[in-house]
Amino acid sequence: MTADKMNETRQLTAKEKHDLEHVLPMWKIVWQQFTEHRMAVIGLCVIIFFVLIAAFAPVIKAVTGLDPEAQNPLSRYQPPLSRTMLPTDQRNDKVLEFENMNPNVAAELRKSLIEKSLVQSASEEDALYDLVAQKNTDEIREAMKLIPTEAADKFLPVVNTFETMHVFGTDELGRDVLMRLIYGTRVSMSVGLMVAFFSAFVGLLIGAVAGYYGGVMDAVLMRVTDALLSLPTLPFLIVMAAIDLNKVPLFKSLVGSENESIVKMVTILLLFSWMTIALLVRGSILSLREREFILAAKTLGAKDSTIIFRHMFPNVIAPMLVSVTLGVGNAILFESALSFLGLGIQPPTPSWGNMLYNAQELISEAPFLAFLPGLLILATVISFNYLGDGLQDAIDPKAIRR
Amino acid sequence: MTTYILRRLIQTVVVILLLSYFCFYIMTLMPGDPVELMIQSNPKITSEDVARLRTLYGLDQPAYKRYLHWASTLVQGDLGYSRTYRVPVSELIGSKLINTFILSMSSLSLALMIAIPLGVLSALRAGSKLDYLVNFFAFAGISVPSFWLAIVLIIIFSVFFHLLPAGGTSTIGNELTGMAAILDRAKYLILPTMSLAYLQIGTFVRYTRSSMLEAMRNDYIRTAKAKGLSRQAVIWKHGFRNALLPLITVVTLSLSGIFSGALITESVFAYQGVGKLVYDSIIANDFNVAMVSFIISVTMVLIMNLLADVLYGFADPRISFK
Repeated sequence: MTADKMNETRQLTAKEKHDLEHVLPMWKIVWQQFTEHRMAVIGLCVIIFFVLIAAFAPVIKAVTGLDPEAQNPLSRYQPPLSRTMLPTDQRNDKVLEFENMNPNVAAELRKSLIEKSLVQSASEEDALYDLVAQKNTDEIREAMKLIPTEAADKFLPVVNTFETMHVFGTDELGRDVLMRLIYGTRVSMSVGLMVAFFSAFVGLLIGAVAGYYGGVMDAVLMRVTDALLSLPTLPFLIVMAAIDLNKVPLFKSLVGSENESIVKMVTILLLFSWMTIALLVRGSILSLREREFILAAKTLGAKDSTIIFRHMFPNVIAPMLVSVTLGVGNAILFESALSFLGLGIQPPTPSWGNMLYNAQELISEAPFLAFLPGLLILATVISFNYLGDGLQDAIDPKAIRR
Repeated sequence: MTTYILRRLIQTVVVILLLSYFCFYIMTLMPGDPVELMIQSNPKITSEDVARLRTLYGLDQPAYKRYLHWASTLVQGDLGYSRTYRVPVSELIGSKLINTFILSMSSLSLALMIAIPLGVLSALRAGSKLDYLVNFFAFAGISVPSFWLAIVLIIIFSVFFHLLPAGGTSTIGNELTGMAAILDRAKYLILPTMSLAYLQIGTFVRYTRSSMLEAMRNDYIRTAKAKGLSRQAVIWKHGFRNALLPLITVVTLSLSGIFSGALITESVFAYQGVGKLVYDSIIANDFNVAMVSFIISVTMVLIMNLLADVLYGFADPRISFK
């Protein structure tokens, strides 16, 4: 054995030693275990993708110039990747706007159009309108090449707005499906995340009080939890969603009419989603209560709130995280189901569920419309479920290693 | 044991009473009471008529008095009268209960027949490609929106291939008898059964897989293998029997849906079951029908919860009832 090789082995052991002695922080261990679960990582990526889309929806709207609310009765049920023209009156409005903005350029354009007889017009005033009415966008672009470039260049952007490309086609009111899906992502995602977040909060509070104080408080809270858990969720959600809010005294004054259906949705879903977390928190707190460090904190004279918030909650958060993650998926499912029945998010606000509201009538006309939103729901919910599964494996040291 | 069951039964009755009042109250919050509907359909109605009708239906009374009245007639065996269908509720609900029972039993058995072998198989080959695939299949089952699954099935099987009817319970106006009638019903059952079963398969596969994995790691499995038992005997007699315990709970809990039905699936397929009845009656403000079907489903869920706990105790002697 040569000296070189000896050196190499010694270096390797030194590196190994360093690896062995180096202490990994908790979150790094969890992260490492998490990344071993391939589907969970894919799920996380999908979720991040959707969250980004939801966050940047207004930017996408500004860049593409597509409005999710813009209706076009002449181009309903267009197939994917189709182009549609604005109706004539809307094109005329745009030309009028252009003429008012740049009267000189417009006059120049009109003159040259008549001169080169690119358009058949009774009077010069109508030249631009006739051009727009008689020719399609490609022909207008051709015509623009034949006249003084400066004026044509100014008119071309207006021409470009006449035609829109619909990647996923249009719906029953001629609205762009892609844009509605993007804005729907915003609504569905935020409802899901908000419900999960608030139910974590409520569950944490109720579970902690029940677990820590025990006795009558525990008995009452747990009976309520059991009762709510045993309810058939969907019929109840439907009744709650159908409630006329004007008959509920407090609600009206708290919420404006703008986001009413979203706030209502979150509130109703919250009512039926905090129980699993409360049970979980109660269980962990019951076992934590007997631990030495809690006894130590009590002996030192810590207040109940300090013990619960500073000493117990950090130990509860990790297992709770899994339940919250799964809760997001469930909330999205329930929201979409209610919106599908026409009781959830109210149009024109788009959500994945209410885009399917009349999907059943559309299945022969536009099966594609009935297909896409559901696929997005499935992708999101399955991602959240895989994420929860991965988190569980990563957090729980006893979990089976893959 | 007996005291445990008795105590749970009393608790269940109390919970049902409280919940029925809760339901009753939130139903009164829904828009449009019967008199309002009558006003809309009859423009000639006078304000005296309205007042008279309100007294007749007891709508001028506070909610708790109306509840007491409703509950006392219910106890006497009078389920009330459906406003939409103009028939007594008891007459209306009978056939729907049977329809729902048929649908839920067929989907539950289909789900179990598929899910248990799949779950066991993927547990035995944990980490393999097959395991990944089965897992994905199961995750998709718990994540798919039920209404969308139903619509996709309709698109595939009735719109594109014209194989099966898109909805309904049986061919309308048929005069079939005997075998032909049964076959006709079966044709309408296939799609709803498939979509309901798939939703349950997801949960069942995941439970079977994890409890089977747990069971196969026990020492007695190694002993059984060591003493030379066949692979089949080890898996089914020693492994699977112990893996069954948690499954019992899950299956019993899903039995609670046997009479309450699957609201969305039944509605999408226009299957005349209790689920669709609940939905229709809530939407149409058919108060008596909604309340009765509500109470049936709540009661079923609570009883099945109780049954699950008791069965669990029988299946696992380590659990004691206090």
